Amino acid sequence: MIYLNQAATTYPKPQRVQEALAAALRLPPPGQYRGGGGGAPDELFSQCRKNMARILGLYGEPSAETAPEERIFFTSGATDAANRLLYGLFPEKKVCRIVTTATEHNSVLRPLYNLPRFAEGLRIVPCGSSGELVMEALADAVTEGTDAVILNHCSNVTGAVQNLGEAARIAHERGALLLADCSQSAGCMEIDAARADVDALIFTGHKGLFGVQGTGGYYLKRGIPLRPLLYGGTGRNSRQLVYDGDYEYEVGTQNGIGIAALRAGTEFVLEEEPARIAAREREEMEYLSRELQEIPGIAVYGSRALCRGPVLSFNLTDMEAADTAYVLQNGYGIAVRAGLHCAPLIHERIGSGPGGTVRVSISALTERAELDALLAALREIAEARRAAR
Amino acid sequence: MKIRDRAPSRERCAESGWYACDFLLDGPMDEAFIRRIRGFGGSFLFLSSLRRPFFKLESERYVLKGCLGDPFFRMAADGAHMEELDRLEAYLAPEQDLCSGGTVYRDGENNEKRHAPEA
Repeated sequence: MIYLNQAATTYPKPQRVQEALAAALRLPPPGQYRGGGGGAPDELFSQCRKNMARILGLYGEPSAETAPEERIFFTSGATDAANRLLYGLFPEKKVCRIVTTATEHNSVLRPLYNLPRFAEGLRIVPCGSSGELVMEALADAVTEGTDAVILNHCSNVTGAVQNLGEAARIAHERGALLLADCSQSAGCMEIDAARADVDALIFTGHKGLFGVQGTGGYYLKRGIPLRPLLYGGTGRNSRQLVYDGDYEYEVGTQNGIGIAALRAGTEFVLEEEPARIAAREREEMEYLSRELQEIPGIAVYGSRALCRGPVLSFNLTDMEAADTAYVLQNGYGIAVRAGLHCAPLIHERIGSGPGGTVRVSISALTERAELDALLAALREIAEARRAAR
Repeated sequence: MKIRDRAPSRERCAESGWYACDFLLDGPMDEAFIRRIRGFGGSFLFLSSLRRPFFKLESERYVLKGCLGDPFFRMAADGAHMEELDRLEAYLAPEQDLCSGGTVYRDGENNEKRHAPEA
């Protein structure tokens, strides 16, 4: 099978991730801050945190923060991380004034729409036809009373990449926090969260970071209070039953096996270098976009000048996205994704209609031959559809 | 040919808002079976020139699609008309007195009235 659904979950994983996962199952289980296990569990978690801090650009200037890796907290994924941040950042407010964008994923939109204190004060900033955020529109939407701006770094529909630094400047000038959703960008493009002055950032482990499902986390700048969503055992200070602001955020038995895979994935990304991964993926997607636009009856969404992520959306004329994906999957053995991609608001802006788009997404391990096989299949499908008209 | 099982579709998001399931068959679909499906009624599309010819049958209440030679096809039904899944299963049951779906027309012949099942 040719797998071009990397924006959902990357496959295959690098050899070292597979080996790390197998090794983690063979060894006694690591337990963070807990005795009675095997190996050096604290080293596993702390090294993974340091790798993540490098990938997210948390060590860069002008950050005054020491040991920013200590402000990375692991969760079961980006949705978990987003919910924890939204739940805990403004616990005393009856109405939170949040500004977000039409490019967001449901991992952010659904908590905002379903928690009453967010829904009431929510503002959605529209995006352009490539899924790009127009900074003037953001500046208009963020006012003195805004609590936070939540921004998708890279669209999982078009691959549009937003300027986090500019968004943070707009937010901070008006006294708001900037929360960045880097689910689609972490591991496959350069992120400079310190220079951009991002206040909080969420990531998932199973996409560009090459970890497995059930891993992810968030970074929260030191000094920003967060009330925990969950309380429980941590392996530390067990006599302490009541917290006085000195919260612990990773409670319960942690996903040590998942973190072992994530650490190996982050090592792979750091060795390959996010900037080089991004450059190669950009070149491949530009090639794909050019070739797709040569096929009569195919419409590609967004300009590659703005859509620099490893994601591309298209549709065939007179053919539902779901049908195109079905034929690719069952007729050619090519896995892509069709539909709204859990980002329902962007489709109105890019003009893709109720059926959404066919999405192609690649990883650092995708080969040109796989894109050529997709293109050959699409030429046949487009020709068959034209003949059927 | 018999329906062996019915399984929820792995790609629910693709059929957004509808309930989708895959009908698993006891053998690969041939043209005769696709003709039977076609007789269920609706607008019919058949892309015969593909490496694996693709069919789609569509009405306001449901969508059926599949590839010639596959031992399964997909049906998505509007949530308000879930009974269509059972109706199709009954319609395709071998003991049913099936109406003829006629020929599998050339690519794209796509006329709901013309291809409606016979009374």
